[in-house]
Amino acid sequence: MAAAAAARATVLKHLRVAVAGGSLHGGQRGFPWLLANSLRRFSEEVRGSFLDKSEVTDRVVSVVKNFQKVDPSKVTPEAHFQNDLGLDSLDTVEVVIALEEEFGFEIPDNEADKITNIKMAVDFIASHPQAK
Amino acid sequence: MSSVSAAAYLARRAAQKERVRILYRRALKDTLNWAVHRHLFYQDASNLRERFDANKDVEDIGTIDRLIADGEASYNKWWHPDPYIVPWAPGGTKFTRNPTPPSGIEIIYNYGREDND
Repeated sequence: MAAAAAARATVLKHLRVAVAGGSLHGGQRGFPWLLANSLRRFSEEVRGSFLDKSEVTDRVVSVVKNFQKVDPSKVTPEAHFQNDLGLDSLDTVEVVIALEEEFGFEIPDNEADKITNIKMAVDFIASHPQAK
Repeated sequence: MSSVSAAAYLARRAAQKERVRILYRRALKDTLNWAVHRHLFYQDASNLRERFDANKDVEDIGTIDRLIADGEASYNKWWHPDPYIVPWAPGGTKFTRNPTPPSGIEIIYNYGREDND
């Protein structure tokens, strides 16, 4: 009887530790709840994440180099579309549309008009949370 | 007086250039909407570019205004009724689909367990 009580006490102590471990996460115990907690936190990040600036620069430079009217050797991260690369204003529009397609996001018309060099494009894309 | 009118002339030309750029942007996206396959799109895009380039050297402001108005009228006539918009952009399918709930509201995952269990 005492042995059963002692066994019960140790079992209960063991259980108590498990409950205390679970209370760190809000007072409930069990494995499925932990999973649900991490899942819940994951769904809050649906908004998206910002891209790394160097990666964005590399991708933008490669897109501009693939453009037919551009000399690939002149493309640098500091290039201006019309002054340095000798593009037309309509060509600038085409390049911006190609960047939109590459990164899979949408620029409003008035913002797209203001992008005139690679640096501005990189800044815009890096500061947009939905750029893939 | 001539400096004021020169500034006004330049401002008008700049406004026209911006209108042309926005019109070209919309027309190009519309071309992609209509011609979904890429090889057809390249052909149509070069046709569109030639139509824009044919009027590139026009200097008279009235003519330019009329050409831009004609271009915008034809865009308004021909725009695609179901354009491709990126899903999370305004007009897309995912726009405001799952807005973030206000802070302080939590979901308690107890899976319907009763309190007196």
